[in-house]
Amino acid sequence: MRIFRILPMIGLLLASLAITSCQDEITSTYTYRAMVPIYLEMSDVRARTITIAPPQELDNPGKIYIYGDYLLINEPTKGIHILDNTNPENPINKNFIPIEGNVDLAVNSNILYADNYVDLLAFDISNINNISLVKRVEDVFTHLYQHDTGQIITFRDSVLTSDNAYRGCINCEFFTMNASLSFASNFSAASQSYGTGGSMARFTLSNEHLYAVDESTMRVFDVKNPKDPKFVKPIDLGWGIETIFPFQNKLFIGSNTGMHIYDASTPESPTRMAVYEHLVACDPVVVNEDFAFVTLRSGNFCVNNINQLQVVNIEDPYKPYLMKSYPMLNPHGLGLSEDNLYIAEGRHGLKSFKVSDVMTIDQNQMEFLESMKSVDLIPGPKSLIVIGPDGVCQFDYSTPSKLVKLSCIDVKNPITVQ
Amino acid sequence: MIFRFLILCFLLFNFNHSHGQETAYYNQTEVGILLGNPDENWSWENKNRVDFSLITFHGAKVSKNHVVGVSVGFDQYQSIALFPIALGWRGFLGKENKPQLIGGFDLGGGFPLLEKKIRTEWNESWFNSGLLISPSLGVKFPAKKGKTALTMSFAYKRQELGNYTGNFDFNPTPSPTTNLRLPPGYSSVTETSYLFHSLVTRIGYIF
Repeated sequence: MRIFRILPMIGLLLASLAITSCQDEITSTYTYRAMVPIYLEMSDVRARTITIAPPQELDNPGKIYIYGDYLLINEPTKGIHILDNTNPENPINKNFIPIEGNVDLAVNSNILYADNYVDLLAFDISNINNISLVKRVEDVFTHLYQHDTGQIITFRDSVLTSDNAYRGCINCEFFTMNASLSFASNFSAASQSYGTGGSMARFTLSNEHLYAVDESTMRVFDVKNPKDPKFVKPIDLGWGIETIFPFQNKLFIGSNTGMHIYDASTPESPTRMAVYEHLVACDPVVVNEDFAFVTLRSGNFCVNNINQLQVVNIEDPYKPYLMKSYPMLNPHGLGLSEDNLYIAEGRHGLKSFKVSDVMTIDQNQMEFLESMKSVDLIPGPKSLIVIGPDGVCQFDYSTPSKLVKLSCIDVKNPITVQ
Repeated sequence: MIFRFLILCFLLFNFNHSHGQETAYYNQTEVGILLGNPDENWSWENKNRVDFSLITFHGAKVSKNHVVGVSVGFDQYQSIALFPIALGWRGFLGKENKPQLIGGFDLGGGFPLLEKKIRTEWNESWFNSGLLISPSLGVKFPAKKGKTALTMSFAYKRQELGNYTGNFDFNPTPSPTTNLRLPPGYSSVTETSYLFHSLVTRIGYIF
């Protein structure tokens, strides 16, 4: 029975080994999205010739702009896709304009305006097969300049991993915060925009003027001669500007503290009429003659536990006030077409309402497409464009109460909705 | 892989039966305690880890002194319960009907089946299963009559486990395409990897 003598010894040996040497190992890593700064010399950027490229697959679409039979889709910081949308059931990808640092665009009389870091570019797109750069207005979006070095600073969306879950590096905190700011620019139907890149410009055209807003400033360009945009002046707006929406000689500017209403009847010099501060407008705004429709949703950085559609009376633009609010599930972008309001409800789907009586919107829901997850929509002349996890989809909405899917443009890296 | 192995075990079991030899099926069920030494940087109480462990091994004899099969069980690691599933081998040394040494080796995974994914408005956290390696050494005391036996054994158990907390990305912009380290829909993920080294002492029964 030698075994009886050996076994306890082995046991004792193993036990002492386990207790003394083999300590559990716990390691932690923190992986996060951050905006990593990149410094560029503008002279290098300008020296590169912009050559129109063959069509490229949509990777990560930003703002979508409808111009006649064409869809112009921004690829944030990379350029602009041009698609022939003559038949919305079968949009055809035509070509791609590579523009570094581009996040926004607008088209006026066959002239495409696009930002190129600190510069504004004008392209003649009257012949889609022969697009040419006709003007570069230099040094207008100067907030990108690092004044001490003369370089421009831009940020790249990156994923970083740190070995320390809780401490990280001090600068990383700054960059993650910056990332949230940048991503918070969110999906706004305002001015048919669907944009990323919060630290950069957002464009709209009104009364032969181009308005570009960044976080704190509106820049006015005279485009009476479309091929020769002229920078007029900057107008200080206060911090946290998100979106701009023109309507009948007024500009509705959403900031994260409220909605600014500007009188643009003197287009080169808009003046402030009112600031409606009762909403936290990280949120998309659409307007008609009498009302502004705003969605608030929980889960972003602006509000807690509020998922609402708010109707703000703007009959007197100097004295906007809240008329009524309606509970929603998780509203993102929205779009207004005559009396029909379409709301992207994130992962919950897509809703449509008749809003001819703004006091009974909840009783006038037309459709609730739960399978159509969506974050933004644009009511265009030919189709309702819906952006969601399926890519860029188009619906026939000639019968507003009954949406019919026409097509979806595949996107390599589609949106995820929580 | 596991499936193929089970088929092999089944075939061997049937083969032995068809030739009218001794029973090929082998079961060894044991209960015991897991002893470990927590990482002092992480544990609030710097005490040794002492938890419950159960293992039941189902195998088929492939030769006189070798059994292969599958082990399943239950292991508690402080507040976390894992269900280990592993491929295993048992080998015997010594004369039959006398106390024999049993050597064993198990390779598989520990599955946190009871740990639910916890989702809040802002984030969610979950556990992922991890690799399990466990060599063991014991002794078998056969009954005076029949094929049953009592066992007593010691094992080293190396168990990995991952805990994740992902913060949702509320601005539904697409993830950077080039990077797979961050699952879609999250702005950040904290991964905590556990590696438990344990000594297991067990007693059990063979039939």
